[in-house]
Amino acid sequence: MRVTIDWLALTPVLAPALGALLVLLVDAILPRARTVHVGVALVALGAGVAAAAPGAWSRETVWTLCTEAPDGACLYGAGPMSAVLQIAALLAAAIVVLMLLGDRWGDSGPRDSLVGGPAVAAALVLAATAGAAGVVAAQDFGTWLVTLELATLPMIALVALSAGRRSIHGSLTLLVTSVLSFALLALGVALWVVASGASTFASAGVRDAWASDHHRLVLVTAVLVILAGLGFKLSLVPFHAWTPVTYASAATPVTLALATISKIAGLGALIVVVRAFSSVTQDRGLSAVVVALGGLALVSMLVGNLVALRQTDPVRLLAWSAIGQAGWVVLPLAALDARGADAAAGYLVAYVIATAVAFVVVHRVHGPDAAGAPARSRQLLHTGGLARNHLWLGGLLILALVSLAGLPPGIIGLVAKIVALQPVVAAGLWPFAVVAVVGAVLGVAVYLRWIAIVLGPGRSTQPLQRLVGSTAGLVLTGAALVVTSVLPALVFR
Amino acid sequence: MLLAAVAVPVLAGLWLVAAGRGLSRRAALDAALLVALASAGLLAAAMWFGDSFDRAWISAIGIRLSLGIDGISAPLLVLTTVIGLLVVVLARSHTPAGGAPATYLGAVLIATGGALATFAARDAVVFFIAFELVLIPVWLLIHRFGDPHDENARRDAGLRFVLFTVSGSVLMLVGILALVSAAGTSSLDELVAAGATLPLGTQTLVAVLLVAGLAVKVPVFPLHTWLPAAHTTAPTGGSVILAAILLKMGTYGLVRLPVASVPDGFGRIAPVLAVLAAIGIVWGGLVCLVEVEAKRLIAYSSVAHMGFVTLALASGTEVGVQAALIGNIAHGVVSALLFVVIGGLKERWGAVRFDRPLPALREHAPRLGFVLILGLAAALGLPGLAAFWGEFMAIYAAWTSPLGPGLLLKVCAALAALGAVLAAAYALRVARLLWVGETDEPAIPTAADGSREGVQTETLGSERLVLTVLVLAVVAIGIAPHLVWSVTAEDVRVVMTR
Repeated sequence: MRVTIDWLALTPVLAPALGALLVLLVDAILPRARTVHVGVALVALGAGVAAAAPGAWSRETVWTLCTEAPDGACLYGAGPMSAVLQIAALLAAAIVVLMLLGDRWGDSGPRDSLVGGPAVAAALVLAATAGAAGVVAAQDFGTWLVTLELATLPMIALVALSAGRRSIHGSLTLLVTSVLSFALLALGVALWVVASGASTFASAGVRDAWASDHHRLVLVTAVLVILAGLGFKLSLVPFHAWTPVTYASAATPVTLALATISKIAGLGALIVVVRAFSSVTQDRGLSAVVVALGGLALVSMLVGNLVALRQTDPVRLLAWSAIGQAGWVVLPLAALDARGADAAAGYLVAYVIATAVAFVVVHRVHGPDAAGAPARSRQLLHTGGLARNHLWLGGLLILALVSLAGLPPGIIGLVAKIVALQPVVAAGLWPFAVVAVVGAVLGVAVYLRWIAIVLGPGRSTQPLQRLVGSTAGLVLTGAALVVTSVLPALVFR
Repeated sequence: MLLAAVAVPVLAGLWLVAAGRGLSRRAALDAALLVALASAGLLAAAMWFGDSFDRAWISAIGIRLSLGIDGISAPLLVLTTVIGLLVVVLARSHTPAGGAPATYLGAVLIATGGALATFAARDAVVFFIAFELVLIPVWLLIHRFGDPHDENARRDAGLRFVLFTVSGSVLMLVGILALVSAAGTSSLDELVAAGATLPLGTQTLVAVLLVAGLAVKVPVFPLHTWLPAAHTTAPTGGSVILAAILLKMGTYGLVRLPVASVPDGFGRIAPVLAVLAAIGIVWGGLVCLVEVEAKRLIAYSSVAHMGFVTLALASGTEVGVQAALIGNIAHGVVSALLFVVIGGLKERWGAVRFDRPLPALREHAPRLGFVLILGLAAALGLPGLAAFWGEFMAIYAAWTSPLGPGLLLKVCAALAALGAVLAAAYALRVARLLWVGETDEPAIPTAADGSREGVQTETLGSERLVLTVLVLAVVAIGIAPHLVWSVTAEDVRVVMTR
């Protein structure tokens, strides 16, 4: 059997993977050469972005890894929205690398908080990114499962290595969750294979399975089990319990990676599943899937925002808000059509940009050791007066928070909410849309509380440390937030 | 030009809020005045040349950044510009404490620009985005620059304002999306034709969502509870913006979206709206008879007046829409006038409460007293002053309305007439307590050192200019309502007689 390979189309996945190997190789020759590692990682990620960019502009899906006709199937297919997700994951990884390695530029002494050294951390980030970039375009079960786990496992190691002893608990929680999630996903995929008899997510197999009552039941069960497995990765309620624990115990750059790269991987995987289903949306009998998707989304939205209202640690607040926002991300998928999938991806990208800005600002305020040093706990009050004392930090944090709340001037967040609600309303799912209104109001209350603190008089903010990498990351994410707020069409294609 | 008229205050306001902390008070005031004047000039030019703006914005969901002016929006655009300008001028003599003057002025400019964008939007989704743009700056005005005596009240009022209006506007968004996806276009001009052909069930659903969402902003009884708290704590300028601009966005939205786009659906729920409006009129009037805090009283009278506007709209007739539009403008001017007077007194005295003896305004500040009496006379609907036409025609429109089961709308009209009587009663109550006064020995809360010399009651500085403009507007609209009607008539006919 021959398989055609289009290397250029695979570059968004292969570039970070090769980058990871290269970083380790360089480390073997030149131990602890921070600058070289950052350089190699950024070049690899940049190459991935450059290769994915044309796909985001065009309106066509790029197929590769195709087997020969007559029963040919492609294992990799990236549409424009997949390309946008890939670019978001690659850029987020660049920010994470800058923050993890760049903050101690030229300082490789014993104070290094990264257990295992900078090369290992960079390689782990790159490997996870390769997994995330791969899963959004995976078309067969093998690639899908492997890349999804590739996006998850390095994260567990990163959490464990990043912040010393305190983060062990967080990483253990993540490990247990991931194992459980993998078991569910494997079971779901197995059921899918039983139902459709195919080895890919192609819609032909779904249609065949739909024709028979018996197979239809198995297929719906498969989707529900897969949804539970992905619920852990997307931190949907009731699969969310690991999120606040792990977010709060990891170092902030690693938390940022969890909130961006892992979320992109999880949603990308879910979109692949939903797209396969969109061929049978006209059919009745899908109500179980619709109710499961919409129910998970709405419960996450309400519970996440309600609990976020009571948080005093900014990272924990962002963790619970991530749970609430995950509800918004999944909500449009309940429409089970291509537009809903695009809306979910667009909403996720808007969320990733805004939350990245918020995490970078928190990191900038509290410094790299905040998670490891229990003496100085993180409090929302520490960002008090930020808008007065540090105009750029405060201004960008406020813009990020209003974006997350979905209010102008954070136009990108507002447009994301409009785009997310539209497929739901168009599909006639009224109750979902009306409950989402409550979720939106709760979300505004959460973020407004923090905005009031940032604008307020505030305690004396500690003098900021000099963090080169984080500052560069802030410039990049801040620019992305401002540009997409003016031109939302860059994200919503 | 139109785009610039909207964008200049928003961008300049953002700049003032973000980077204006370093500016001196004087420089900030001059900059804000310059921006407000520039925006007014650009708007006048855009109206004169009939300028409009239209280009693709987010093609994925078919949203066009589309702005334009027609007869329905023109009077409100003028009102917004003038009120925005007056609030900036008022800040020259009355800058509220609580933060840098530049932040206050920036928030005022953003709120004004957002309201201009709302009235000029020709696309339903752009209308929603502009609607939301006003939220954060007005929250800032209440939260930061509100009543300096009570921090908890400010926080509570600001949060309540935002949460109420957000729940309303997101509900409205659901309605807009339902309308847009059913009709296949988001252009307000095309929706007039496309929406009317939708099946009755869809129309009713869309109308319920839109009316429920917009009713929070108007506010319609029983969704008004955010308004008194917001008014009581907001600084004078913030109260003026709230009453004269923000509430109008709600009624304007009602005209543009449910009344114009889904007339049959709106007709089905109009009787409910009419009943709520009538209850609001009577309820507001009754509360005003016993309320002891002056700004709360004006806020409740706003609820009653907006009840007239809502009742007029709910009549579903052309006269009703005309009445609502002039009622809007009149309430904007009259409530702005009253809030400048009462807010000014509150800033001087610390509080204006009717349960303690008040000094006789006619003695201590005859000019201010005269303006107060004029404002109260206008509020009770005296013929020859601004509010008369809107109220009189609203009752007429409700009485002659073809809608509703049996005599329901006639009963509502009668209740509204009763509300007008209540308005006379509470206006005279305020006049007796505040203008005539109760004591010769005024219990004015004095300056910190106990001397009364520091407290100046009479109008001062730019306040005088602001009040003059408002008084002239109240009289002008009262004597020559055709100033407004001639502008609106043609487009109202287009909307109402499809």
